[in-house]
Amino acid sequence: MPQQRFPKIEIKHIAPHEITFVLSETDTSMANTLRRIMIAEVPTLAIDLVEYHENSSVLNDEYIAHRLGLIPIRYSPDGTLKGGDCHQAFVPHRECVCYDRCPRCSVEFDLDVNFDKVNMSRPEQERDLPLTVTSRDLIANNVQVSPAHFLNEEEQDNAHDEGISIVKLGQGQHLRLKAIARMGISKEHAKWCPVAVATYRFWPEITINQEACNNLTMEQKQELVDACPDRILELDEITGNLKPTEGAEELATFTEDLKYAQDAMKRRPEDDDYVQVTHSTDRFLFSVESSGAMDAEDILLSSLRVLKDRLNYLAAEVEKLKD
Amino acid sequence: MANRPERSDAFLLGDDEEKIEYQPDTKVANAGTFTLNKEDHTVGNLLRMQLLRDPQVKFAGYMHPHPLVNRIHLKVQTSTSQVAPTESLSAAIEDLSNETDHLITSVTDAIEKWKRENDTGMM
Repeated sequence: MPQQRFPKIEIKHIAPHEITFVLSETDTSMANTLRRIMIAEVPTLAIDLVEYHENSSVLNDEYIAHRLGLIPIRYSPDGTLKGGDCHQAFVPHRECVCYDRCPRCSVEFDLDVNFDKVNMSRPEQERDLPLTVTSRDLIANNVQVSPAHFLNEEEQDNAHDEGISIVKLGQGQHLRLKAIARMGISKEHAKWCPVAVATYRFWPEITINQEACNNLTMEQKQELVDACPDRILELDEITGNLKPTEGAEELATFTEDLKYAQDAMKRRPEDDDYVQVTHSTDRFLFSVESSGAMDAEDILLSSLRVLKDRLNYLAAEVEKLKD
Repeated sequence: MANRPERSDAFLLGDDEEKIEYQPDTKVANAGTFTLNKEDHTVGNLLRMQLLRDPQVKFAGYMHPHPLVNRIHLKVQTSTSQVAPTESLSAAIEDLSNETDHLITSVTDAIEKWKRENDTGMM
């Protein structure tokens, strides 16, 4: 007998770096699975291997390699600045048939900064000051791939982006390296994590018992309003009734203060609550913030694809058990 | 760090490993334990909750033995001998797969709808 659910999605806000949405008519296990997949199993690109040709900077090779690894790398398939899902464009390097590496499974970045050469072309007042090597000095061999700088054209036009600092060079110092980016998941290393924040909270159900509230004075109602540090209640100016404020669902922190305040007002402890704020068990408010490697909406879609692929794989394996 | 396990051990199946193994219970009828290699709470809890929604499943529980052990044990008992635990698991996975399909289409639609209503020209 099928026990399928039909969850609903309601988008609250989309920006390239952030998405907030409400997932409903499913349960915590699905919400938590999505959250965990977004954090640990969505594939992205990150620098994984670095070949040094010259490094006379103050930082050692490993230190710089670590910093390079943490730079978010964007895959923009269609010539825009949108950070897309890279899973169809690349093969995981362990599964690739090539001997060492190839354009199917890796992207090469070249970086060559020589203080003495750059110093000649700097403005007079900046001469001999330390030179910062940034992610903008990384030149990729694939036009669709670049270190994360801008989320859209508007931002590119307005911002004065100087890239992500890697190391500072002084006189006579030279850094030349080849960095190889590969596709991976953050179960292996956190540098592949596409999200900075991926959380969900339970939707609050605010029920106001108007009948019980009629026995309260205006002062008492005001006291209940003031008892909530998260400001989820207000008094209706016309009727004088308690009501949830606009956007209360996003503000509610499930504080105990409200409970204590109304317990003190009750004639008998077993009286009905005036206001109840409870967790909804089938409605979740998600908030996903991108690290810059992918657009937030693509992280969500990619996580669903990962889950779908995993379930198909498990289904096939269970079929094998039946024989 | 001589004895550090490979990081990829958390998600790459070993050469001698099967993805799913099944061990029928020797003492309880219609029960058995599935061992899912290279899986964790992500899939474990999802399957458990879905199995519990099945009226023909009497018991479903999962265990992740240790954070460094990359497998889960999923124990399932069905209420009748008509339905084997393997069939319940198979049905649970299929339902979840359909649910995910449904989610993919609703997310795509919701994103399109949001963009139509909030045309900021930034996309």
